[in-house]
Amino acid sequence: MTRLLRPLGLVFACAYTALIVWLYSAQPQTMAEMTGGLAAEVGAYRIDRQAFDDGLAFFRRDLFEEARAAFARADPAQRDARTQFYVAYSFYRQGWGRVYSDDELFTQGLVAVDRAIALAPGGRLVVEDETLVMKTADELRAELQRGLTRDASDLNPLRLFGTRK
Amino acid sequence: MTVVRECFILPGLFLTVVLLGGFRAADGVRFVTPPVMTLVLAMLLLGCLARGRVLAPERLMHSARSGLENVSGLVVLLTLFAACAQVFNLVTPESGLLHALFTVFFFVQLLTTLAAVRDRVLLLRGLSVLLGSAFLLRFVVLESLYSPDGGTLQRVLAVLMEGVTLGTLGYAPNAPVTGYVAFVALALFIAGLVLLAQDSESLVPGSLGPGSLGPGSLGPGSLGPGSLGPGSLGPGSSPGES
Repeated sequence: MTRLLRPLGLVFACAYTALIVWLYSAQPQTMAEMTGGLAAEVGAYRIDRQAFDDGLAFFRRDLFEEARAAFARADPAQRDARTQFYVAYSFYRQGWGRVYSDDELFTQGLVAVDRAIALAPGGRLVVEDETLVMKTADELRAELQRGLTRDASDLNPLRLFGTRK
Repeated sequence: MTVVRECFILPGLFLTVVLLGGFRAADGVRFVTPPVMTLVLAMLLLGCLARGRVLAPERLMHSARSGLENVSGLVVLLTLFAACAQVFNLVTPESGLLHALFTVFFFVQLLTTLAAVRDRVLLLRGLSVLLGSAFLLRFVVLESLYSPDGGTLQRVLAVLMEGVTLGTLGYAPNAPVTGYVAFVALALFIAGLVLLAQDSESLVPGSLGPGSLGPGSLGPGSLGPGSLGPGSLGPGSSPGES
């Protein structure tokens, strides 16, 4: 019995330590993030497909706040790269303006796309969606960063003829 | 030390302290890693615990023990060290002048304890008072002083304190749940030390029991007040009368 207890104790200590290290590195903010993150670590995390499809439908009808609410339901732990990509894209489309961009929305979009890149294997995320102009997270990130940058090109009158991607 | 206590209870208690020690809730939840200075304080505290025989390292790791037993003992030592660091991280404000003041206070207090306290019970009592006082200061006094829900008088007092210290206090208040979690963490830490101290008292097979290197050989009966006090160097042997 003693021979069995010591290895079991070591396994227990190692598992508990791993949990603590993960908590301190991942810094989950809610219980949903914590459970989702743990599930994702063991490859058991799944998004709510129905809520994702609802979000996508809202997104394509330019109902961005509704879309983000549905995406939040679909991916409560924010562990799915594709969903986070769409969340970032919704911030971009909502914040884009012919004369100026909404910095607050673009900043939130940047946070979301960074999250998507961090979650994607190797940091490479390509979304095959014909309705999108930017299909990679890198393009979206660069576009969001351009929107937040203030320089002389902001005064270029040709910007008025720019199109939302 | 029973196997269950060594392999499950003590590591479990100390790891829980590690987990809860960095918990902070304000606008969101954060897990704060211990700063380098708390590692130094943890080393000092381990020294105090070993000197006061709360911790008997030779009972956890020794050549007479098997490899697996030594690994178990090492786990207890490592988790104890991490818990010590997190306890100081818990009761010390994270930044500003208060962080420096608390750290210096702990450092001096631990050095004093290391130099003076050898008795197990006194050490545990002293440590409980030290950590309990720090807990009260941080999670009762400072939190209520800097609470955003406080009244006008409280805000005036906080502004006065900031003014007197030229704004160097810089205390960031936490949500009340942080205090409850901190209380649980401290209680678990003290409970773990008491269990560890009980184990240090008990005999284990081997040649390093209390009779050889334990309290019996270095305790009050050998080098303590009893050996150097009036009883050993009494009137008959004092230089003044010879």
